[in-house]
Amino acid sequence: MKVKNGILKGELKVRGGKLIKCMIEVEEDAIKKIKFSGDFFMHPEEKIEELEKRLRKIELNEEKIKEIFDEFFTEVEVIGAGKEDFLKLVMKCLNKQ
Amino acid sequence: MEKWRLIIDSPKNAFMNMAIDEAILSEGIPTLRIYKWKPSAISIGYFQNIEEEVNLNECKKQNVDVVRRITGGGAVYHDEKGEITYSVVCPQNSVPENILESYKIICNSICHGLKFLGIEAIHSGINDIVVNGKKISGSAQTRKYGRILQHGTILIKTDIRKMFSLLKVAKEKISDKEIKRVEDRVTSLEKEIGKVDENEVIKSFIKGFEEKMKIKFYEGGLNDKEISIANILREKYESEEWNFKR
Repeated sequence: MKVKNGILKGELKVRGGKLIKCMIEVEEDAIKKIKFSGDFFMHPEEKIEELEKRLRKIELNEEKIKEIFDEFFTEVEVIGAGKEDFLKLVMKCLNKQ
Repeated sequence: MEKWRLIIDSPKNAFMNMAIDEAILSEGIPTLRIYKWKPSAISIGYFQNIEEEVNLNECKKQNVDVVRRITGGGAVYHDEKGEITYSVVCPQNSVPENILESYKIICNSICHGLKFLGIEAIHSGINDIVVNGKKISGSAQTRKYGRILQHGTILIKTDIRKMFSLLKVAKEKISDKEIKRVEDRVTSLEKEIGKVDENEVIKSFIKGFEEKMKIKFYEGGLNDKEISIANILREKYESEEWNFKR
């Protein structure tokens, strides 16, 4: 099976909400670095950096990524997008390759 | 009736404006601050990527500053002469705990103020104010130290062409047709009621807050501590580390 490497970018416009974007650097079937951006609101704002840290070195597996999101989104309040939108965006990005 | 400080500020640059809003939030004196941006500037939301949103070369050419806010939301062009900005700092318990509800009460105060200018505006979506379906104001909120900071703009007049030249808009969108389309979605005080007297706008604004949020204002300025905090924070807002952090 082909090992995934490279930089992937994607965006998702949430219906009735905001635009969320992500950039994922993938190395050997794992997330090396991930960055979210967009015009959404997250309270507290600085928490986004923690999410990006928690996703580092995580396998490209929807269940594993979802587990991190399930925990993280109980700690923040996001306006203009939801947990499912973020997950959808990441998977959309990863499935591009 | 709550007593809030009212600061009608002189125009400042983008970095100082954002530093002052954060300094007021950190000290926590309930305040309504009304201000302008000189030179014109773009503020981007906390989560936005500056290079994806802003045409930095064009901003430099046109002497437009660019700053990242501590609040989320989208990129905003603050024209030196085309808008008025407000910021509200108050204890979280002065507004509903629910964030959307708290946007509503502050935005409704602005709508109420616009009534005194003869404009029927309504709060729409998360953080917009619209007149006949056209956007006239946008706001963004953060919550820290048990307080909220909400800042936003009211458009006095719009220059969509200039805004498009500064923000990264897909090239195919910078057509006369597209500019017209955006112009049709956005309105301003001048479009609604013709030439406006800014003092009248500010007065109406204040009255809107007084009546809707049951607040009594006393006029004041920043205290020494806020000024020194703002001077330190200004360095953060001027730094590449902050502005390019995402």
